[in-house]
Amino acid sequence: MTIAPDKSATAETPVPEGHVRLTIDGEEVIAPKGELLIRTAERLGTVIPRFCDHPLLDPAGACRQCLVEVEMNGRPMPKPQASCTMTVADGMVVKTQLTSPVADKAQQGVMELLLINHPLDCPICDKGGECPLQNQAMAHGRADSRFRDRKRTFPKPLPISTQVLLDRERCVLCQRCTRFSDQIAGDPFIDLLERGAHQQIGTAETADVFDLASRTSSGKPFHSYFSGNTIQICPVGALTSAQYRFRSRPFDLVSSPNVCEHCASGCAGRTDYRRGRVMRRLAGDDPEVNEEWLCDKGRFAFRYAQAADRLRRPLVRDRETGRLEEAPWTEALRVAAEGLAKARDGKGAAVLTGGRLTVEDAYAYSKFARIALRTNDIDFRARAHSPEELDFLASRVVGTNPDNGVTYAELENAPLVLCVAFEPEEESPIVFLRLRKAARNKGTKVVHVGQWSTPAVRKTFGELLACVPGGEAAAIEGIAEHATDLDEQLQQDGAVVLVGERAAEVPGLFSALHRLSSRTGARLAWVPRRAGERGALHAGALPTLLPGGRAVTDADARAEVERTWGVEAGALPTEPGRDTAGIVAAAASGELDALLVGGVDPDDLPDPALARKALAAGCFVVSLELRPSAVTEYADVVLPIAPVDEKSGSYLNWEGRRREFSVTLEGTGALPDCRVLDTLGVEMDADLFTQTPEAAWDDLSRLPTRPQRNGAPDVPHAQPPAPGSGQAVLATWRQLLDDGSLQVEEPHLAGTARRVVARLSKATAEGLGDRVTVSTGRGSVTLPVEVADLPDGVVWLPGNSEGSKVRASLGAGHGAVVSIAAGGER
Amino acid sequence: MGMFDPIKGFGVTFSNMFKKVATEEYPEIGAPAAPRYHGRHQLNRHPDGLEKCVGCELCAWACPADAIYVEGGDNTDEERYSPGERYGKDYQINYLRCIGCGLCIEACPTRSLTMINFYELADDDRQKLIYTKEDLLAPLLPGMEQPPHPMRLGDDEQDYYVNGPDLARGRGVPEGETVETSEEKAMQ
Amino acid sequence: MNTDPLTPVLTKRWLSPQSWRISTYEKLEGYTAFRKALAGTPEQLVQLIKDAGLRGRGGAGFPAGVKWSFMPQNEEKPHYLVINADEGEPGTCKDIPLMMADPHSLIEGCIIAAYAMRSHHCFIYVRGEALHCIRRLNAAVREAYDAGYLGRNIIGSGFDLDITVHAGAGAYICGEETALLDSLEGRRGQPRLKPPFPAAAGLYAAPTTVNNVETIASVPFIVNGGADWFRQMGTEKSPGPKIYSISGHVERPGQYEAPLGTTLRELLELCGGMKDGIPLKFWTPGGSSTPLFTAEHLDVPLDFEGAAEAGSMLGTTAVQVFNETVSVPWAVMKWTQFYEHESCGKCTPCREGTYWLAQVLERMVEGRGTEEDIDTLLDVCDNILGRSFCALGDGAVSPITSGIKYFRDEFLALCQDARERNATVPELVGAQQ
Repeated sequence: MTIAPDKSATAETPVPEGHVRLTIDGEEVIAPKGELLIRTAERLGTVIPRFCDHPLLDPAGACRQCLVEVEMNGRPMPKPQASCTMTVADGMVVKTQLTSPVADKAQQGVMELLLINHPLDCPICDKGGECPLQNQAMAHGRADSRFRDRKRTFPKPLPISTQVLLDRERCVLCQRCTRFSDQIAGDPFIDLLERGAHQQIGTAETADVFDLASRTSSGKPFHSYFSGNTIQICPVGALTSAQYRFRSRPFDLVSSPNVCEHCASGCAGRTDYRRGRVMRRLAGDDPEVNEEWLCDKGRFAFRYAQAADRLRRPLVRDRETGRLEEAPWTEALRVAAEGLAKARDGKGAAVLTGGRLTVEDAYAYSKFARIALRTNDIDFRARAHSPEELDFLASRVVGTNPDNGVTYAELENAPLVLCVAFEPEEESPIVFLRLRKAARNKGTKVVHVGQWSTPAVRKTFGELLACVPGGEAAAIEGIAEHATDLDEQLQQDGAVVLVGERAAEVPGLFSALHRLSSRTGARLAWVPRRAGERGALHAGALPTLLPGGRAVTDADARAEVERTWGVEAGALPTEPGRDTAGIVAAAASGELDALLVGGVDPDDLPDPALARKALAAGCFVVSLELRPSAVTEYADVVLPIAPVDEKSGSYLNWEGRRREFSVTLEGTGALPDCRVLDTLGVEMDADLFTQTPEAAWDDLSRLPTRPQRNGAPDVPHAQPPAPGSGQAVLATWRQLLDDGSLQVEEPHLAGTARRVVARLSKATAEGLGDRVTVSTGRGSVTLPVEVADLPDGVVWLPGNSEGSKVRASLGAGHGAVVSIAAGGER
Repeated sequence: MGMFDPIKGFGVTFSNMFKKVATEEYPEIGAPAAPRYHGRHQLNRHPDGLEKCVGCELCAWACPADAIYVEGGDNTDEERYSPGERYGKDYQINYLRCIGCGLCIEACPTRSLTMINFYELADDDRQKLIYTKEDLLAPLLPGMEQPPHPMRLGDDEQDYYVNGPDLARGRGVPEGETVETSEEKAMQ
Repeated sequence: MNTDPLTPVLTKRWLSPQSWRISTYEKLEGYTAFRKALAGTPEQLVQLIKDAGLRGRGGAGFPAGVKWSFMPQNEEKPHYLVINADEGEPGTCKDIPLMMADPHSLIEGCIIAAYAMRSHHCFIYVRGEALHCIRRLNAAVREAYDAGYLGRNIIGSGFDLDITVHAGAGAYICGEETALLDSLEGRRGQPRLKPPFPAAAGLYAAPTTVNNVETIASVPFIVNGGADWFRQMGTEKSPGPKIYSISGHVERPGQYEAPLGTTLRELLELCGGMKDGIPLKFWTPGGSSTPLFTAEHLDVPLDFEGAAEAGSMLGTTAVQVFNETVSVPWAVMKWTQFYEHESCGKCTPCREGTYWLAQVLERMVEGRGTEEDIDTLLDVCDNILGRSFCALGDGAVSPITSGIKYFRDEFLALCQDARERNATVPELVGAQQ
């Protein structure tokens, strides 16, 4: 707790427990023990200039810009002190540049020294106009320089990865970037090289330019999932982004707060656009969620919405030519409505929504399915899924929120976090950063139930509980017996279990986790990979759930929804609908007449081949899409919808926290899904009341959460699959940077993706050579081999990377038995 | 009114017949502006024809009328428009907005942007009054070649900035035609 | 006070044949003190060193006994003793000769000191360039292990100690104790933020004491001779003998061990006076980081208080003597170039300041300076002094400020030459690269 700065403390004010009283520039303040002087002064309204200081990094005291005069116990300290490293103490008297000529001169002197080797290239520097060095030089520097000699120069710029460019001349060596990479991200791929005025930031690759003695980093280029943060915290233009290079100046940009659409972390960000085009994204400051950080995907992957092939007009398939032709909205909506209405009155229509919708859009789909299509055949899970998962979501997840569920803050303070079938760095990078912070600062123990010691295991100072893919459930059931110490730790107050989307592929895992949590009292949280899954769950885009976690089969709940929606009693379908796999199978076998598909890629579905067959089977397909896709290929009507920058709405992040955002680019004419569905509903005589995202939210809010906590999953765990000779069990998950459809048009970002390799244990890799071919009856994937600490008889493949599209090529997933063979030479 | 007054009147007429006329025959002959008149802008070139504009947008920043639009671009070894890293990829001045104040040319750090005396900035089409880079670039003088091309006058941009007048003489750029061969020489 | 100007204590075995062998050392009452020490308690030893008033010989002169007493009493974490043998200060040449001639006195000192601070591992961080010295130390450590003076259960006392000789990579900054610790841990040698101080979290975040070679080598003599004997030498606040390393324009440069408080006049007598009789111009009392002295300081007593009172510091008692043939600006320039080269780069004032100062001085020495440059030099020095992260920045400016203080005329003369020469050619400063 901090004392409000405007309440200036007088001698009478009692000093609360854990606080001290000190004087800054003649004003008495009360500050919490351990606070740094620079922050206390800042709360008081005195900004002390600084470069190396950053509130989320350990103090360094390197730049010496923040010098102040300090008096302790009535004795002035002989030298000015760096206020970014000195903590407050009782009775301290501090004089900043405002009242101390010594501090003022010291600051001006340091500023002059910082500028002697700084090039005068502000006109061509991307930081120009928003540069802390520029600003502070104006505020605290001399008007002229006395430096008449030769500046230190370096060739520039030096790409230290495909997306980060380093200009060593501009660097003031504050070490924020190296400290961030080392402390926060755990990727110390950049470090200081050389010494004195020739000291510079570099990677092992840049070090090679000089000599071997200066090889200090770990021999890899700056391939970190968080490298973009170093650009944002660089107080000069030394680190710039290849993507934003020379694109604009701060005064050209209009900034608007955004929420990242890439994963379920729910990061606050800032979108900067110029003349209707998004130029860059920056991390926002939300201490509850992403603090001040953002992963590179969230920062750099936004140009998919600017792609040349973006759908801007509705398309209707011409009956004669069989081709999609542009059509006016009115006609497209009429054709779609007719087709859907006919199907509804025939064998039925079903809805597939991807996991990337806002809550409002998901709600519109959910409501559209129930009252316009009169069906419960709706499922947001465009990925492997199971009925067990459905029970788990309904009984354990829906309705949780920061008030009653696990939060980032709880992760940070947990004594133990158990990650099951969840790869935090790849699936929810900000959760990963929190886990690392907890482990580094508070000694949280992080245990990963997975297949190999991934970088995240090492960087969370974690422990790996290795098991065969599909054997996770058995491993969890075995904790009580075989890992008693872990079992005890799980019973500690605040212990947390995190489970990822992959769990749906392991029969019995959700049940095992439910039992574990009930037995030990550990809190359980589900961290989906996609941003829209929690929202879609809340909105009832599931075959068994209505909005707010109400069961479809519960007559009272149905009646409540009917009343709220203003439809006649008994209008809602009473039987649980088909799930994604059921819908696909039904469509493929001709049991459905129409499909309404919103942003689903068939290759994400459990059986891509069957999904394509279903789309091609001749049922009427309406596709709501941003860009042409495998679905629009088969669609009868394609309705273009707005990307996140062009609409408002909200996501629920994995905590269940509502992350609201407003429109960034106004007036582009692009419509959100909820608006399109609302109009389509009107054509079908159903009123959704979702004309705008705000209206949709209001409508949804009239159905407060009423989750039913019974019906927990209870599926016995299956025996882990046993591969025969020449076979292995497949472990797979997606890497953060891969061939995801929201990462198109980003070559700089793609350049920092992790290498696409197959991982096997040493024994399993024996005799395979440099490359391994993994195959099923459907197809094969051939990748370079990397030996890792997997259990024998297991092969790991990245899920959706270049050359490794596991679902599309193999038609198999995590836990499947595949054949492995030598992949031959390249 | 005296009787000679009409004659006096003719006197005025006759005396003026032999004076130099003040009338300027515009537009047949045209009228020069004062030497430092704030006319149309020009984007100057280095003596080898590379553009001086680095796309820094300081002109746009300085402009009180928001008449200038600039977007920077990245020079590559294969495609180079200016010495150094950055060039002005897109450059537009909207003469419907420009008030001719000259703050932009004062802001220009490379003396790329100057104003010439041309003042016939009127048209019947708004679109035509948005001048683009092609309209604003200085003509190619002898010794200059059309970018993109590599740096002909040095290894890096420093050489261009430090030794401008010498380089211009070396390339045979005509006297008095560019910033380097007129003003700077006069200043020295 | 002892009338003999020389007090060979540390240096008493240096001239014996094969003085570095354990056999020689033991013949000359070596390895006797640690037996006494191991018989006592650590507390008694710390008290003894406090009573003797032994002050650190690395430059700062912090009382060694007090430093040892900062080590925690418990042994929750391992304690480390680190010997700073990274002798790199220009002019300083006392530790390497000591380790070459009498390595066992250091090792015996290490055993006693480690016992006193409950440490079971001692590191000797030697400057990497001193390869001969590293070899000799390694051989001596091996001899001590063979004799049972190191390792498990030393001479049956139950005390364990290992000594590791570590070669630094030759960075001046690694003589700063926290940078030394970082370097020893395998990191980049840059000073650490204090607090925590090494006694709380030093090497591998465990309690650590860093002592100079000469300090530790003095310990066996104190144990044998007692605090009172030690206090007979030197002054009240700076007791004991000290190795004065005299270099430069004297007849017989070398190591002279004398009580603290000896004056340069006395030292000059010992080393045969100024070379070729050319008069003294200036000198440093303790290496290049200590402000210069001139001929008027010949009678300053060279102990910690005396040197400080006269406006300098005792430093490492590396007395560099310069006669009248040496130009002060030139000498200052050479020193500044050293500091520019050796600045670690962590903090702005030292990194950028030394870079700037060196260029200005080079320009002045080349005859292209101006009078304003002298003011600039002084002001930049003021912006470095006390603003830098560690003491290296402070040390870098002392030759300049003291040089200008005592010899401003020489600097001015250089500038005036330049002004006359350039009177007709106005220079367009900054236009040329």
